[in-house]
Amino acid sequence: MSSSAERVQAAPVNRSTKKSSGRTGSGLGIGGQFGSWLDRRIPPQSRVLLTQRNIFIFPTRTAIAYGVLLLLLLLGAINYQNSLIYGVAFLLGSLFLVTILHTFRNLSGLTLELLDARPGFVGDDIEFNLRISREPGKARHGIQVGWPGAIKQWVEMQSQDAVAVKLFSTAATRGWYNPGRLLIESRYPLGLLRAWTWVDLNARALVYPAPEFTPLPDPVQGQRDDGELVDRQGSDDFSSLRDYQPGDPVKHILWRRYARSDDLVLKEYSGFVEPRAWFDFERAQGDVEQRLSILTGWVLHAKQREQEFGLRLPGRIIEPSVGEAHAANALEALALFGMSE
Amino acid sequence: MAAGATKTLGGIEYQIPRNVLALLMLAQVVVVLPHIAQLSFWIVGVCLFCGYWRAMVYQGRWAYPPGWVKALLVIAAIISVAMNGKGAFSVETASSLLVLAFALKLIEMKTRRDAYVVIFLSYFVIATEFLFSQSMGIAVYEVLACVMVTGAMVGLNQLQTNVRPAASLRLAGALLAQALPLTLVLFLFFPRIAPLWNVPLPAGASSGITDRVTPGDIANLAQSDEIAFRVVFEGEVPPPEDMYWRGVVYNEFSAGTWSEGQPGRRSRAADLVPVAERVNGLSYRVLQEPTFASYLFALATPVVASDEIELRPNYTLLADKPLMSLLHYEVTSYPDVRREIGRAAPRLPGSLPELDNPRVHEWAQRVSKEEGSPERFAERILAEIRSRFVYTLQPPRLPRNNSIDAFWFDTSTGFCSHFAGAFVYMMRAAGYEARMVGGYQGGEQNPITGHVVVRQYDAHAWAEVWTQGVGWVRVDPTAAVAPERIVRGLNAALSEEDRSSLSAFTNARLEGYGGIDDLLYMFDSVQHRWNMWVVGYDANLQSEYLQELFGKRPSAVQIGVAILVGGFISLGIATLVLFLRRPRASSDPLVNAFLRFSKTAEKRGVVRESWESPMAFVRRVSLHHKLPSAEVDEVIAGLEEQLYAAGEASAAAPGRRSSLLRALRRLRLRTSLRASM
Repeated sequence: MSSSAERVQAAPVNRSTKKSSGRTGSGLGIGGQFGSWLDRRIPPQSRVLLTQRNIFIFPTRTAIAYGVLLLLLLLGAINYQNSLIYGVAFLLGSLFLVTILHTFRNLSGLTLELLDARPGFVGDDIEFNLRISREPGKARHGIQVGWPGAIKQWVEMQSQDAVAVKLFSTAATRGWYNPGRLLIESRYPLGLLRAWTWVDLNARALVYPAPEFTPLPDPVQGQRDDGELVDRQGSDDFSSLRDYQPGDPVKHILWRRYARSDDLVLKEYSGFVEPRAWFDFERAQGDVEQRLSILTGWVLHAKQREQEFGLRLPGRIIEPSVGEAHAANALEALALFGMSE
Repeated sequence: MAAGATKTLGGIEYQIPRNVLALLMLAQVVVVLPHIAQLSFWIVGVCLFCGYWRAMVYQGRWAYPPGWVKALLVIAAIISVAMNGKGAFSVETASSLLVLAFALKLIEMKTRRDAYVVIFLSYFVIATEFLFSQSMGIAVYEVLACVMVTGAMVGLNQLQTNVRPAASLRLAGALLAQALPLTLVLFLFFPRIAPLWNVPLPAGASSGITDRVTPGDIANLAQSDEIAFRVVFEGEVPPPEDMYWRGVVYNEFSAGTWSEGQPGRRSRAADLVPVAERVNGLSYRVLQEPTFASYLFALATPVVASDEIELRPNYTLLADKPLMSLLHYEVTSYPDVRREIGRAAPRLPGSLPELDNPRVHEWAQRVSKEEGSPERFAERILAEIRSRFVYTLQPPRLPRNNSIDAFWFDTSTGFCSHFAGAFVYMMRAAGYEARMVGGYQGGEQNPITGHVVVRQYDAHAWAEVWTQGVGWVRVDPTAAVAPERIVRGLNAALSEEDRSSLSAFTNARLEGYGGIDDLLYMFDSVQHRWNMWVVGYDANLQSEYLQELFGKRPSAVQIGVAILVGGFISLGIATLVLFLRRPRASSDPLVNAFLRFSKTAEKRGVVRESWESPMAFVRRVSLHHKLPSAEVDEVIAGLEEQLYAAGEASAAAPGRRSSLLRALRRLRLRTSLRASM
């Protein structure tokens, strides 16, 4: 993940990329005039309170059938001069009116908040974590939340004041991914009216290039003596025991010993020293995107084998290192390569 | 967590929640039940079959029916409707079709869309029932059915696993209750317009007085305590012996049956009831229950100001279409008008067949010659009746031919129509003009609202005789044999045997219920008001009511404003319920008592801090207001005990909790009496 400082920096950029690529990716395509009107009406915020300002409400197709029913009842009442059929028609008509408020109320007072998003690869379903909370009072039912074109989640809040919702959206391109405006809708209680809103929670997730797994590049001569380190984690020959220090790989802890004595002791391995690898943009094959995919594959490979590697991209060099943070850093560089930053 | 992933795009994988399905099936039974009376045996069979199959599918025992079963069902349905409707399209046919569509849809109900079709059909079937009955009981029943159907609709819009039918029903009830004010305003103000086109009418078997009468028919009517109509008199209610509600005039007699015959040429009301003679008018409003016939009932001689009601030359009223729902009309009757029109041609209409009833024929001709004048002959007949006849509800069966011979010479027992029929027959046989009139006689006054209730057992038949210079004069032969019937009603004239032939309920009604009379009158007056103000609320009543309300004919704008006000009231109630409802206070009385104490203390200047324990707060309040320390200590000790050792404390001394409650209340009272500092 990127640091928060980078995020802030990236935000305005994000706005521009959203307009170019991120938006068009969504199936519903809220673009053009309606999109800009929405942006003015419900400006992007990471936390949105639903009120009469941002909730829309309109009859559903079921309501048309309901209207036809009312009309038939009214005709029957007129032609048969039947007071009680008038009564039924009026009761059902009034019911519709009252339902408007109930449908609106079901969404009103909800707060949507984007907690975080997990980075993923192109073509993956990117996970976004949302928190939906409500004001104290009435329970909420039958609320559907989802990005346009993706699977919707049902949300019901009866006794809980807040629920966590995981939403997924498929990323089509690398870089900062914005799944577009989030749709929140509900037809509760009668299904005759639909209350909905499109909120922009400033959701963005880092999307790495889709990895392409090819054999690792041959170690580059001449780079090896930059730092002759013994890769302690990379091998499988047991050498000695020593006390655990924060940062050591957990899987090398001698758990059996821990169970007996509460001492965290590390098995040390020594063995073949893997060469420090340099993954170089120039050494990958294909066009830019292909190369990035290949590099991504290499990085993942190295990360999995806990191998030390460095990354060399045109205009950016990441010094060799190991660990999760290093890998994430490298993947982010690959994801954002070539994007105006 | 109550969020689950469901593919709901386009409702592809939506399954109707099982408990919604159960609710919907139950609602269908509730909705169809009142229609059973109009449905044929076959249709009920198809419905039951569909319901059984669906229940089996519900339980997972059977699969959905295959195509050929559905086809077979549709064919069976069409045949059953055709058999029921006898080829003609009527309201019954339509309602049968509706119920069948309902049942057939039920069996293949799978998707949300299907469920909505069933729900909308349910609403329609609910409304259709009002074509057949508009009683208050049915109305209440159908409102409950509406709640059920609406409850099922609520369940369809929730996450399947979260549907709780009881909560759905409660919400549906609340929705309908909130819709009520607007419903009421729409009901009162929405303009009632004339029918747009002619519709088939439900052809229920006409009840009450009909266009033909065989002596004995009216005796059957006496078995029924159903209400025929209610009357609201503007002034004094006339005595029962003057309340002869004329309905049908019978001119023809053949094969033992009296029928209407030709009613005569149409005449204008002004000719029938000359304006000059319209004095001593008696004004009243009749609320006629549906009879599925056109006959209306009124005292002689009625004048009605309505385009839909015709005054016929025989001085009876006729509606322009059969009464399938309650009809109310205003009548002014002029008892003193001479009824001279409608005199038959010298040759009697429906002249008596020569070969019929030869003995009575011969007797009438002989005796009338002896007596000389029609008045004396009539008096002779009545004397004969008085001396050797018996009034009974259970006369022996008469033969189809020569029935009057048998009655007059052999059985000598009969009900009102026997006497009236024989009387008219003999008058005619003697060459005088006479006719039989069917209707009701008497009625019971409800002491609460003052209206008169006329029931089927008040049905009656009497005679009218033409007298030169006077016109048609009423002669009631029943008054000769059973005068108490006329003055005090049917009950007074019945023998023990007659009573035993009636149902327990009719008997009870006739004899009065003793202690619960008042209750029945109350019930009747509620029904009467229901008929007056709800069922009978039509264009006339509406304009009357609105004029009273606005002082003049209201403009469209005023009506619009009134409807808007109703809408705002409905929405206002919903808003109050939805947005301003306070979070429910705790169900624990101790917590509530403490919260009330805090509130009082707050008003008296001590505000509880969010971090402050109840005990510390009570201590601070008591120091601030110098409350008696013994009481304060008691409350604090009690609070500590209840908060930290409630289980043990209640086991040790069960009364401790309530004594703490009392102490806390006392402390609150003391605090409230202190001045705010």
